[in-house]
Amino acid sequence: MKPLSRLSAASDLTLGLIGAFLAVAAWEISARTGLVDPAIFPSPSLAIRAAAERLTAETVADNLFWSLLRVFSGFLLGALAGAAVGIAAGWYRGFGALARPLIELLRPIPPLAWIPLAIIWFGLGEPSKFFIIFLGAFFPVVTAAYQGMRSIDPMLLKAAQTFGLSGVPLLLRVAVPAAAPDLATGVRIGWGLSFGVLVAAELIAADRGLGYMIINERNTGGSVGVIVVGILLIGALNLITDAAIGAAIKRWIGRWHGA
Amino acid sequence: MSQSPVMERRSPDTGVGGRGPAEAAFIRIDGARKVFTQRSGGAVPVLDNVDLAIAENEFVSFIGRSGCGKTTLLNMIAGLEDVSAGRIAIAGKVVTGPGQGQGVVFQQHALFPWLTAVDNVAFGFRKSGLAKAERCRRALELLSLVGLDAAAGRYPREMSGGMQQRVSIARALALDPQILLMDEPFGALDELTRIELQQELLRIWEARRKTIVFVTHSISEALTLSDRIVLLASNPGRIKRIFPVDLPRPRLRTDPGFNALYQAIWNELST
Amino acid sequence: MTRKLVQALPPLAAFTVLLLLWEAGVRYGFLKPYQFPPVSRIARGFVELSTTGFPTGVSIWSHALTTILRVLQGYGAALALAIPLGLVIGALPVVDKLTAPLIVFCRSVATLSLLPLVIVWFGAGELTKVFLIGYGCFWVMLSNVIAGVRYVDPTLVRAARTFGLKGLELYRSVVLPAALPRIFAGARMALGVGFMVIVGAEMIGTIQGLGALIMEARTFYRSEITIIGMLVIGLIGFAISAGLMALERAMLPWAGDLDRVRR
Repeated sequence: MKPLSRLSAASDLTLGLIGAFLAVAAWEISARTGLVDPAIFPSPSLAIRAAAERLTAETVADNLFWSLLRVFSGFLLGALAGAAVGIAAGWYRGFGALARPLIELLRPIPPLAWIPLAIIWFGLGEPSKFFIIFLGAFFPVVTAAYQGMRSIDPMLLKAAQTFGLSGVPLLLRVAVPAAAPDLATGVRIGWGLSFGVLVAAELIAADRGLGYMIINERNTGGSVGVIVVGILLIGALNLITDAAIGAAIKRWIGRWHGA
Repeated sequence: MSQSPVMERRSPDTGVGGRGPAEAAFIRIDGARKVFTQRSGGAVPVLDNVDLAIAENEFVSFIGRSGCGKTTLLNMIAGLEDVSAGRIAIAGKVVTGPGQGQGVVFQQHALFPWLTAVDNVAFGFRKSGLAKAERCRRALELLSLVGLDAAAGRYPREMSGGMQQRVSIARALALDPQILLMDEPFGALDELTRIELQQELLRIWEARRKTIVFVTHSISEALTLSDRIVLLASNPGRIKRIFPVDLPRPRLRTDPGFNALYQAIWNELST
Repeated sequence: MTRKLVQALPPLAAFTVLLLLWEAGVRYGFLKPYQFPPVSRIARGFVELSTTGFPTGVSIWSHALTTILRVLQGYGAALALAIPLGLVIGALPVVDKLTAPLIVFCRSVATLSLLPLVIVWFGAGELTKVFLIGYGCFWVMLSNVIAGVRYVDPTLVRAARTFGLKGLELYRSVVLPAALPRIFAGARMALGVGFMVIVGAEMIGTIQGLGALIMEARTFYRSEITIIGMLVIGLIGFAISAGLMALERAMLPWAGDLDRVRR
């Protein structure tokens, strides 16, 4: 028991890497031995070779660039708007009473369900994609910001008022920081949703981006290997960006709020 | 309940100051050490070479600053943490794990949130082999011992802190343990509730004849309750001094003897 | 009661004014009816949808039923696999550490990005949609079940150990119930993922289901039907999530505030 627990404490990461390696090895072997038909699900080595053959670095970089541009711009504005509306709804009762029913009505609609309406409003170009990615970030952030504002410890506000703070300074210097942990949770969820929405939007209606790259490969009867590599690339991108946002949040509030 | 009431109880004649004969020791701690291994591989000594003998039916308090290892020592007696070196024995048997006659009351009540008060107490009988109806009957009996018969059907979140800690005491008493190990059980309660529960605990101790080891931060709590007060020092944790409390119960804070001891303990703690 | 009514009045009034402005804006030509179908047109569309249906013969109810059944199949399969697996992995720290990065990665793979691959596997039929929903729900559920089991308050485990419980019995009577709130939270999150995925999956290669309905309606310039479809999707999602919450409250009366266990 004891040596085992010490081993695992010292090497969480090593164990994780071993596990990942085993999984990849099992995949490779099952494709090579014919357990899985390589034409349908190629081994990692085959997939990478196929991708290297059919994709140039330039194509990948171009598609990657468009995906990142869309998701960052949509997410950034969606999260900002969500934070602003949520904070305002939590602070100004009148505005909250008006805005909240509308938000609660639209919130259960998944962002992807807005795609047809987005096309009706903005056409097939970039604005419609921007719009649904915006929504993907907006709703989680607005909800979290509002909840964060409503659950501020009233003692904090009273304490600040004893120092003469009121109005906008009280909001910006006390209420918003106090709501920051909830807001951060919303931002994290919003990022995940924006990213998922991005991929879907690129699959359904786009002519560039990583999502388009893989659906185009399938529609033109290309290589399954390219599709597999594309999926893994999108997954890795999501993982890395999510970790980066997590780290940024930790730098922002980690010292006083804990992990 | 089955025992004859021993109301005007004084400190036991054995074990005072740890000077009693070896065979009188009920809990024996010999050269106990505890070392925690860090993630980086370094070793932190938490307790160093602790020797202590506690007599049967004695009420002993551990007091000391945060980080002196008093909770670790309690957990080691409970069999919840192993001893890095040395040994701990109860009634001559080396402690190898929980379930050797130790009942434990934890700092934050540690009640199972999904069980009602009576079911939490009845949980203590799980390994007893008793029939379900019997478990329930005994659990209710224990709840009435701590004055909570009326709250039997409540979930922990529906009870005040004082009530939760009463249930926790009742649960610890379930298997009629010889030893009650209490880790700052009243630390989170308000002063009035705390005094109430202290009196209750003394009543139970006298009625049921338990050996109690009680961890606390409060000098006056230790003085109100214990036969002996064991003062621990930090870095590494060790016994610094043992104070016998030879004052009649109930103890009053206005008693000059109480105050003299308070001062003595405070001086020792602050040097 | 009356206070609540009074409080609900201003937003209700504002909402009505908004709808009236909208209606008027279309009538007087400020808004294009195709882009902003007025309430009257949406109402007429709803009557058509629930009687004749769109496309003709497929009513909104049958679309909704198709979507719900797809979600439930994938969701049910995901839960049936993820719960037992998570309970096992969470109980074995070494296995948990071996699988953790793998699970994080699989969870990060955007579910709909699998669509081109899954079409190669199963064609564009039902199985593809159910599989995608299952994939999305599975990883969310799995990571929540594992976390629920792994992060049980250690004092509770200690308390149970003082009564001689260990091994499987300790797991069953303490770890499992303590993990339930997190497992329920995971089930709610997974359902949200399922609804998200189905809408996307139905937009490709089918004419049945709410996702297909709203996309088809757009192609035929029937924006009011798109809006009705969206509202119905939202309504179903809301109703099922509320149902799960009620179930949770009934099954875990001890857990108190449900919002505290999100994340």
